[in-house]
Amino acid sequence: MTAPRYGSIRANALSLAFGGLFLVTLVGQAIAGTADHNARQVANGLPTVSLLDYVTSSSFGVDVMENWQSEYLQFFLYVFATVWLVQRGSSESKEPGKEGTESDREQQVGPHADGESPTWARTGGWRTALFSRSLGLLMGVLFLLTWAASSVAGWAAYNSEQLGQRQDPVSWVGYLGEADFWNRSFQNWQSEMLAVGSMAIFAVYLRQRGSPESKPVGAAHADTGQTG
Amino acid sequence: MSTPTTLRLAAAVLATAALSGCAGSQEDDVGRVAGAFEDPAAAPADRCALLAPSTLETLESDESAPCVDVIGQVPLPGGAVAAVEVWGGDAQVRLGGDTVFLTETPTGWRVTAAACEPRGELPYDCQVEGP
Repeated sequence: MTAPRYGSIRANALSLAFGGLFLVTLVGQAIAGTADHNARQVANGLPTVSLLDYVTSSSFGVDVMENWQSEYLQFFLYVFATVWLVQRGSSESKEPGKEGTESDREQQVGPHADGESPTWARTGGWRTALFSRSLGLLMGVLFLLTWAASSVAGWAAYNSEQLGQRQDPVSWVGYLGEADFWNRSFQNWQSEMLAVGSMAIFAVYLRQRGSPESKPVGAAHADTGQTG
Repeated sequence: MSTPTTLRLAAAVLATAALSGCAGSQEDDVGRVAGAFEDPAAAPADRCALLAPSTLETLESDESAPCVDVIGQVPLPGGAVAAVEVWGGDAQVRLGGDTVFLTETPTGWRVTAAACEPRGELPYDCQVEGP
């Protein structure tokens, strides 16, 4: 079947829609966060802050970064785990027996690449090795960067709270040993693991007609790796 | 080195310098307010004007008297500024004889707590403090 000729907006509708939703929800978080912060300031007899002051504060920074890092951790783990682990019957998994990085022929690399393959899939050597892992590596790097940013913003927010409660601030290394840092990290990580794990198993028994995240409605529960 | 790289480096250096300047200026302001509040020669009215509104209100409510009448009874040993910590809108100044906590208000940095003694992991025990 020939792919329809779409304009650039329709051809990128999924990315654009989620990019737009991301911006709208980030603005929503900024507005709601400012209101929440100011309610606590008023309750403590302290001055309120503007939206601009709030979005440039460590409080907003850590709230954003702690969520970003867990999303990238989720995709980093999922991209690598699905190379080696299968879930029989799930559209999120490949067929049992295909665990591993698969052959060059199956992956269309080196001499098995065709004319439309990306250049780095054809060249071989370190370029193909790197390109073959680029999706997972990028997710891993983004996770480490956002987790580091989360630790710095969390450190600043924690010290601000410490001073507000008339307690001494701590060093960055000291903050990495504080329960606040690990509570923020684990509470985000557990929700991501739950979402991924439940999606993998729900996709065995439930269907969403027309979605590539689901098997075809009539596919057997035991069928693995199909999308519809 | 390509021009865009040079420009990016210059921008990064300028941004770092600007941020460092802001932090230094804030620390100077905070240290100045704490020092003025604890200055043994300061007039009671001047000290009271440096208190955060909620701290001023708490002090006058607890003492059932105007701030200017009671602030002189609070032991404020003062001393030279030894260390300043500024985190967001909150700050702490360690002086030779006292530790002072401050908050940023629309009219500048103001004292939220003074005459404070450390209590290990617990919050400082302060003779002047807000709610």
